[in-house]
Amino acid sequence: MILPIATIVQQVPLGAFLGLGLTLFIMGGVGVLIRRNPVVVFMCIELMLNSVNLILLSFARYLPSGGAGESPMNSAVSGQMMVIFVMAIAAAEVAVGLGIIMAIFRSRNEVDIDDMSLLKS
Amino acid sequence: MEAANYQAIYWVILLPLLGALFQTLVGKAMVQRSPGLGKLVSGGVAVGTVLAGFGIGLFHHLRLINDPGSVKAATITYFDWINLAQLHIPVELRFDALSSTMVLVITGIGGLIHIYATRYMAEDKDFTRFFAYLNLFVAMMLILVLGNNLALLFVGWEGVGVCSYLLIGFWHKDLANSRAANKAFITNRIGDVGLALGMFWLVALIGGNREVLGLTDARWLSYDVLIPAASQLLSQFPHETFWISLLLFVGAMGKSAQFPLYVWLPDAMAGPTPVSALIHAATMVTSGVVLLNRVSEIIALSPAAMSIIAGVGAITALLGAIMAWGQTDIKKVLAYSTVSQLGYMFIACGVGVFYAGMFHVVTHAFFKALLFLGSGSVIYAMAHNQDMRNYGGLGKKLKITYVIMGIGYLALAGLPFAFSGFWSKEAILGPAVNDTATLPLVGGLTVGAVAGWVGFLVAFMTAFYMTRMMCLTFGGKTERWREIEPAHHDDHGHDHGHAHGHAHDDDHGHEMDPAFFMTEEEAHAAAGHDDHHHHDLDKTHEPKEVPWLMWAPLIPMAIASFGLIGVWMYGDVWKAPHPHPFEGFLHSAEVVTAKNGKVEGGSALAPRNLEDHGDDHGKEEKKEKGVDTNTLVLVSALTFAGGVGLGLALYGRRLPASEGFDLSKWNPIQKAAGKQLYLDSALSGGSSKGVMGLASAFKVFDKGVIDGLLVEGPPKVVRAVGGLLTTLQSGFVRGYAALMQIGIIALVAYFAYVVSQRGGQ
Repeated sequence: MILPIATIVQQVPLGAFLGLGLTLFIMGGVGVLIRRNPVVVFMCIELMLNSVNLILLSFARYLPSGGAGESPMNSAVSGQMMVIFVMAIAAAEVAVGLGIIMAIFRSRNEVDIDDMSLLKS
Repeated sequence: MEAANYQAIYWVILLPLLGALFQTLVGKAMVQRSPGLGKLVSGGVAVGTVLAGFGIGLFHHLRLINDPGSVKAATITYFDWINLAQLHIPVELRFDALSSTMVLVITGIGGLIHIYATRYMAEDKDFTRFFAYLNLFVAMMLILVLGNNLALLFVGWEGVGVCSYLLIGFWHKDLANSRAANKAFITNRIGDVGLALGMFWLVALIGGNREVLGLTDARWLSYDVLIPAASQLLSQFPHETFWISLLLFVGAMGKSAQFPLYVWLPDAMAGPTPVSALIHAATMVTSGVVLLNRVSEIIALSPAAMSIIAGVGAITALLGAIMAWGQTDIKKVLAYSTVSQLGYMFIACGVGVFYAGMFHVVTHAFFKALLFLGSGSVIYAMAHNQDMRNYGGLGKKLKITYVIMGIGYLALAGLPFAFSGFWSKEAILGPAVNDTATLPLVGGLTVGAVAGWVGFLVAFMTAFYMTRMMCLTFGGKTERWREIEPAHHDDHGHDHGHAHGHAHDDDHGHEMDPAFFMTEEEAHAAAGHDDHHHHDLDKTHEPKEVPWLMWAPLIPMAIASFGLIGVWMYGDVWKAPHPHPFEGFLHSAEVVTAKNGKVEGGSALAPRNLEDHGDDHGKEEKKEKGVDTNTLVLVSALTFAGGVGLGLALYGRRLPASEGFDLSKWNPIQKAAGKQLYLDSALSGGSSKGVMGLASAFKVFDKGVIDGLLVEGPPKVVRAVGGLLTTLQSGFVRGYAALMQIGIIALVAYFAYVVSQRGGQ
């Protein structure tokens, strides 16, 4: 019996989503701490953000859909909206961050995050 | 007593004060413009203010004597000074026998000394400064004796201290003088602390018991309220009485140069000679006796304090006499003699004959001022050389000075009957040897009686060392300055005895702690030895009699030194019925009321109960166990004759080889006497070392606790905390990231904990 994907997803328990999100988050966090290439660090940060997104969406899925008369703050929409915000901010952040990395690379010809310990160049 | 009759007495104080102002504001400019005329005018003003004060004082003195009132004391109130709810201190003067006598002494002798000083200081460039200080001193001394409360007394007390400091250090470019001034000032501070503490204690006691005493007058610091109240109250508090008396006596010790605070007085001879005569012989040093007379009713309540006073007086008298014997500086002999005579005055106070102390103050003021001024004349004639070993045979050269000083000498040595010194000394020693009021000491003798016999010993020594001084200066045929080798400027030559080269042969033997003052080298570098010397004494010197302005003022003093004057003024000490006429005058208030049999709660300032103390006025019951008058006169005559005889035998012809410039030939006792028996170096050096030790202990405390802990501690803590925090700001990006994560985890954990505690709400 082939079940539609939405049905399958619905059968996955909440704990599995949360576990995956936590795993991704820890991976991202550890990556931020141990990697010295700023580009990889950025990727790890993205990973952390996306794991949070995943958790937000999972909670949104398990919340009541929010009928008429109910506050949108308590409905699934609020979680989904938050994810949109996070993605927008992450995009902006990457744009700025990569610009900074490019500028540093131009002046120093290398980008090791441990060497960037001075506020002046 | 009509206080209004004495209203004008404040001019006595005001005139010298205005004189001092004149000297500084006008006189200086005048002297700068035309030295001759300027010095004439400013000297005239200086003399005039003091002599005018003498005139006013004499006028009021005669009015006081002839006052028909029974209590011969007037309190003249001028204006408010301190006005509190419970305490009212007006500026008021007390004109009674004690203060009027002192006014006459201060202005009379002061005036004569001012005249002398106009000539003595004529060539000094700081002429007006000198007279400004001198006038200010006279004014302060008058405030001291005339003030009617302890606060005013203290003003005068400190005022004369300052003036003394200024005048001792008058030639301040010579470092030795500045040192002497410092020493005098610091030593006096010790006494002042005692006086201040005694006063505070008295104030606290009286102020706290005002209601018990029923004092309605808020003016209770004034003598006429304070003294009766204090003697009434303190008779119930023997301990407090003892300590208060002792503290007041410590004050008197400082000003009146009693052992062990006498050390400043010999050094004070660094000042100009008129200053030595005025301050350090005639007036300031007597202020201790004046104070004890003022508070005599309080002190007389404590036999223990009286014993200490008499004992200290005797020690001082003895030490002064011993030390005078070893001196080679003519002024130093007189300085130690003053110390010794001040000891007599305190013996008198100690055995309860306060009036005799004052009597000796008066007679001593005349003949000691005379001797000092005479020695000043000798020094002047001898090119400012003060060493008696360079004198000799001056009797023929300085005839007038010789005769005048001879009179002073006989008065001080106590030639029986003829001279005033004898009368006042007898007035002290007679009651002293018969004293029974002080504490017993040895063999049934009281402290006072022992002090009295020591006094006779000192009388012998006084005659001896004064004969020595006179013989070395005026006697003999050898004119010793003709033997002086050409002066060589070896500043450390004193040790070898070649002191000729220096006009101010100051006692370089003083071993002051160099850290306290300065090292000798610095001293000599700073001294500028040629400042006020005219020329050095050498073998070609021809001493000439001093100008008339320098001997004429001595004539009145010489006349006053004769006993006949004293007898005329005060009656025959022996034949007159008890009490002593001077006592009768000085304490007229008490005596008169006592005679009329109507003593009402103790009148103003009288001594109490003097009959208890021994006297030599022929009281029958005393005669039996005490020493009678005739014996005393005999002893006195013997001490005089013995002292003079011994002196003449030893020094009549020449300077003994054992007292020459070669100190190694001196006998050890006399050498020690010449160096103050090493007491000065022990006391001054010891105390300065002690203070240094204390200071270094405080330095440790200051460096360690104050600086180290309180001042430098907080910054150290801040720096340490900051240092700890800077390690966080390493610039290590991943470190920041780790911290952020730890923080986030902690926050989340906390929230999770809170949420779980609330059961998911």
